[in-house]
Amino acid sequence: MGRYIWIRLLKSLLSIAIVVSIVVVLVYKLVPTSKVFEGDEAFRKLKANAKVLYTYNRLETLGYCDYLTSGEMLAAELGEKAHSLKPSDEEYQRVLQVFRDRGYTIEELTYNDKLQGTHVAYRFYNSFELIGHFFAKLFQVDTPNAIQDPNWPEGLQRGYRFEKDHNGIYALTCAGCKHKYQLYFDKHFPFIHQNFIHIYFGESYPSQQGVNTLEVIGSSQGKKVKIEQTFPSGQVLKSPINQHSRKYKFTRDHLDEKKYGDDPYADTTNMQEAPSMIFTSYRIGLLSILFAYLFAIPMGIWMAKRKGKLIDKIGIIYINFILALPSLALIFFFKVIGYRFNLPDKFPQLGFHDIRSYILPVMLLAIMSTPGLMMWLRRYMVDQETSDYVKFARAKGLSNREIYNRHIFKNAVIPIVNGIPGSIILAISGAVITESMFAVPGMGKMLPDAIKAANNNMVITLSFIFTALSILSVFLGDLLMTVVDPRISLTVKEGLE
Amino acid sequence: MNPIDEKKVPETQVDRSYLNEVFEAGAEVTGLVVRADSFSAKSVDELTSEKISSPKYTYWGSVWRRFFSSKVAIFMLVVFSVIFLMSMIHPLISGYDHLNVVNINDRSKWFLRPSAEHLFGTDDVGRDMFALVWSGARTSLFISIMATLITLTIGVIVGMWWGFSKRLDVIMIEIYNIIANVPFTLIVMILAFTTGGGVWQLIFALSCTSWIGVAYFIRVQVMIRRDREYNLASKCLGSSSGKIIKNNIFPYLISVLMTIISRDIPSYISYEVFLSYIGVGLSEKVASLGRVIETSSKHMQSAPYLFFIPLVVTALISVSLYIVGQTLADASDPRNHMI
Repeated sequence: MGRYIWIRLLKSLLSIAIVVSIVVVLVYKLVPTSKVFEGDEAFRKLKANAKVLYTYNRLETLGYCDYLTSGEMLAAELGEKAHSLKPSDEEYQRVLQVFRDRGYTIEELTYNDKLQGTHVAYRFYNSFELIGHFFAKLFQVDTPNAIQDPNWPEGLQRGYRFEKDHNGIYALTCAGCKHKYQLYFDKHFPFIHQNFIHIYFGESYPSQQGVNTLEVIGSSQGKKVKIEQTFPSGQVLKSPINQHSRKYKFTRDHLDEKKYGDDPYADTTNMQEAPSMIFTSYRIGLLSILFAYLFAIPMGIWMAKRKGKLIDKIGIIYINFILALPSLALIFFFKVIGYRFNLPDKFPQLGFHDIRSYILPVMLLAIMSTPGLMMWLRRYMVDQETSDYVKFARAKGLSNREIYNRHIFKNAVIPIVNGIPGSIILAISGAVITESMFAVPGMGKMLPDAIKAANNNMVITLSFIFTALSILSVFLGDLLMTVVDPRISLTVKEGLE
Repeated sequence: MNPIDEKKVPETQVDRSYLNEVFEAGAEVTGLVVRADSFSAKSVDELTSEKISSPKYTYWGSVWRRFFSSKVAIFMLVVFSVIFLMSMIHPLISGYDHLNVVNINDRSKWFLRPSAEHLFGTDDVGRDMFALVWSGARTSLFISIMATLITLTIGVIVGMWWGFSKRLDVIMIEIYNIIANVPFTLIVMILAFTTGGGVWQLIFALSCTSWIGVAYFIRVQVMIRRDREYNLASKCLGSSSGKIIKNNIFPYLISVLMTIISRDIPSYISYEVFLSYIGVGLSEKVASLGRVIETSSKHMQSAPYLFFIPLVVTALISVSLYIVGQTLADASDPRNHMI
């Protein structure tokens, strides 16, 4: 069994890697690069040669291509003496030829300004390079040698030490790492936080420019929350700054010095009032699963007990109706009904702290997952009814109620149990359709938003998360099934093949 | 003496005179006069006697009889036929072009309520909703039917092969495990995003990975039936794999396929409408129910007809197709053909 779990885990990781690689190639190769710049304000304002330079620079940071200006090309080939060369020089042309031979495309800047006549070289990566780069930067480890800064403050020793943070709790801090707090405790879920290793999918662009995609999904949103706090310099301020998020800041201003003294870790993020996208999706998803199971399991049992009677027929009509109706139509019908009861038809109208915002999305998600549950539970129970052990139990004089509750239900619910971890874990990924229809600021809505904004890194991040979650949830579901029913073995016994 | 033995003796030579005594004795009691020669010989028709008497059974005959015994299914078939016909012939009736926005500056042509001239009214830029809704329905139907056809064709062919070949099974099962675990919404959205908008691109996005689900389904069905005794017997008698698939296995799959069709078409319609609603997928030039619903949902309170008509049409297409398909699936299962 242990061996099986390891092999299955490896296979799952491999599947995730394959799916994400395919998504990376699709996104980088098929989405036209012009679309990437559509949402970029800076790009729109630029003109002429500066625009060309900005384009390639941006494409390089996004991971599309390798890009060099003529200065960089010359410096790479000739070293120090390169500065004085002009495009007309023979040496300059030779360097261009060298890069051309390496597969770079050389482009001359033609707009009439002081850059006119110089060249840029770029080379778009092929699919394998794209995948390689993606996985190479996937795990980022923070070490005391991560920051290399010529202005490194004198007297600051690199290394780890235990210090009290602003809350008076001991935390492991680091000098020389990107993050000051490497391990710290606070009252927010999951209570213990670390910064040793990060998963990095690239930066969000063009929306939320420059922010790590996982941070966009995982950090709080909305209005800033100001709380009274003491800064290392002794200053007490009402400020939204989250001191645990302190990162190394290369250029510090006098405001930073006021707060942190000569400590270079002054790059912080703010605390915001609304929960993160993941948490919002999770809250709605979990509630809906709870309601779905509470409704579907008794209904499924009831239908199976009264097979062919009125309640069974009504149930079947309900199941077929919900299955056949497009989700969009179902959601709108509920919105119209909700309007009669004064429920908001968009989540942000009342915001995250009003319970009325949650009613419609939760109800809809629950309703949309009931038909499957009801149908299967009914089918399993009806199948069990004709089995020998039920006939035997009946012959021995057990009451109908005992047979249903103690025997049939226990057996019929096993396949349903298989789906529970899946639905709980997948609640994180949110329901794409429902969330976008209600404008819920969750992960499900983020996917269409990222797609419309051509936010490539975000699309890749979300694909990774959704895929990983669903693959792992199937795995966990199978494991849970063996726990519930010891007769089930996931490994193939020898001799059965 | 059984009747066949009796026939070997020529009828005329049978001497029944010994019966006369019996008849005479009987006549004394009953008063009836019966003689042996008042019986005439009747020959037995060999062909008729070989026939087993049972009601006539044809597969498709039974399918249709069973299908048309459901009133709901007939009603839904009529509903679907009307929608299908309307989406095909609507330009003849409406007389408006759904892409025509000449009335965009003419306020008097905006938000007209349904009337004889504009059966479904006009929208916020003065377009005729009747033309818009039916051409949207046509797009939805076209995309979903094409995607289902492609999915089924590839799925059935690969699935048959997959079920028969153990070597292929090893590879395919791994591919299936990878694809089946990825949320379909994610696949469709990413493919629609990366391939760009357009009807054929959307069809590609919808059918690109879903065929493997159908193939897996068929594989299981084939595996169940592959090693049954009648197939072993057929193999022993020298039938080729292709013949066994075509004659012995495929007929069993008809009802399975009908179930898949009735499930897939509505779900593809749902995806198409949703993708157009959020603006991924179809371009502005193609009429789409999703986009009509999206634009008119802003006028949900002020001009509800704008919003409800396309929504109801979408719902009707899906529900009618689903019910017709499910009933047909039930009807085409030979186990349901009670004589």
